[in-house]
Amino acid sequence: MSEQSKIDVWSAGELLERLERRDPIFILDVRNRDEFERTRIEGRSPVPIINLPYFEMLESGGKDEMLDSVVACVERDLSSQIPSDQPILAVCAKGDTSVFVAQGLRRLGYTSASLRGGMKAWTEYYATHPLFEDPDLTLYQVSRPARGCLSYLVASAGQAIVIDPLRHLHPYLGLARSASVTITSVIDTHGHADHISGGPALAAHTGAPYYLHPYDAIHPIDVLPATIPSEFIRDGQIFPFGRHELQALHVPGHTLGLVALRLDDRYLFTGDSIFIQSIARPDLGGRAEAWAPLHYRSLRRLLDLPGGITVLPGHFSSLAEADGSGRFAASLDDVKNRNEGLVRLLRENEDGFVRYLLESLPRFVPEYLDIKRVNAGLLAATEEDAATLETGKNACALSQALEASVRKGGS
Amino acid sequence: MSQGFDSVLDARGLNCPMPLVNARKEIGKLDLGQVLKVISTDRGSVADFQGWAKIAKNVELVGQETESADGANLYVHYVKRTA
Repeated sequence: MSEQSKIDVWSAGELLERLERRDPIFILDVRNRDEFERTRIEGRSPVPIINLPYFEMLESGGKDEMLDSVVACVERDLSSQIPSDQPILAVCAKGDTSVFVAQGLRRLGYTSASLRGGMKAWTEYYATHPLFEDPDLTLYQVSRPARGCLSYLVASAGQAIVIDPLRHLHPYLGLARSASVTITSVIDTHGHADHISGGPALAAHTGAPYYLHPYDAIHPIDVLPATIPSEFIRDGQIFPFGRHELQALHVPGHTLGLVALRLDDRYLFTGDSIFIQSIARPDLGGRAEAWAPLHYRSLRRLLDLPGGITVLPGHFSSLAEADGSGRFAASLDDVKNRNEGLVRLLRENEDGFVRYLLESLPRFVPEYLDIKRVNAGLLAATEEDAATLETGKNACALSQALEASVRKGGS
Repeated sequence: MSQGFDSVLDARGLNCPMPLVNARKEIGKLDLGQVLKVISTDRGSVADFQGWAKIAKNVELVGQETESADGANLYVHYVKRTA
């Protein structure tokens, strides 16, 4: 079977590099339509993308074999929609079916590639960017680009704190190993709703304490206490590491126990309060009216910090929020000017801003109730359950930047 | 009461798209009204068989079940030939 060995296969990391460089790519996503509606690949710039499920290609192509059907279907249904002058990336759920699609495209003369491991690999891909490195202090941003989740490892003199670790531990353990540091504290800025925290598992693995504000050790909807043990964070608490320290600022609003973490006047780990282009939503605990005023006061408190401090958020909504090096970081002064929620906050009094928040709430994601239960230890999740719960991009921001232009394939 | 069937396709261990590709071929060998039981280990086949049955002109999905065997899940689809 020599045809398979000839097709181009991109890893998730190669795809990310191309998206960050804004290379021209056309995506043919052959997953079923429900999966496509829930999540798709998005770039720094809008990526042209077509969804045509592989079983529709089979029926439309009408051949017994997948490859023959792809060829017949593309010739019949797609030739006017897909470009011949740029690479076509075939994407499926796990990276098997997309090989047939890339082969069929190649047979017709297109430049094609298959995404290795499919959307599963893309969703589970982690990127690490160094933000600061000198002999005294190192800081890494670890992101899950498909989900818009950000986490951090900050280290000094052999000791590291991991902030908001995501579900898979290998990026943090690998960083700690390569930087020869010991993870001495694990901190969740809040009880997460959009993803399963890696905090408790990382703490258990390393022997480091796991910190969470006590208000977030209660499931807000179930009103039940977490069964996962945590060391409680209080406002103003100092977390030393090496020759530096982080200070906790209790900034309730997105959750009741949200804390931001401040490293001098240099870095502000904002968790889910201030993102680069948006602010967090106040409704994921089911009490938006009660929490929105808290959110207003917390954001005001953060805006009083020095304008030169670098905001390091817990999420992004679009790769376009990154700087030219793929890093999600900007000075507080810069964020004040480009952040839709903060621009609004600076114009409004508390009542007006609360009204704006309540009028702007995005759709509630039902899976978030169960994710919070898993994070509190109130619900067990297998690897497969966890992957299903974590489908798609986070929806923690008040406003989402929608970058992908979407077209439906087929008739 | 479990669903009746006329023929069985064992697609265990096969990755997408093969359970569905093979089911399509097998359905062609059945008489109208007969039911094919497809056994798969691919979780994605559950949604894909539903999507396929919606758009294919000659099949109806008459049942789906998940069974556990030796710690692994089996995804079973009953597909009837209608045309």
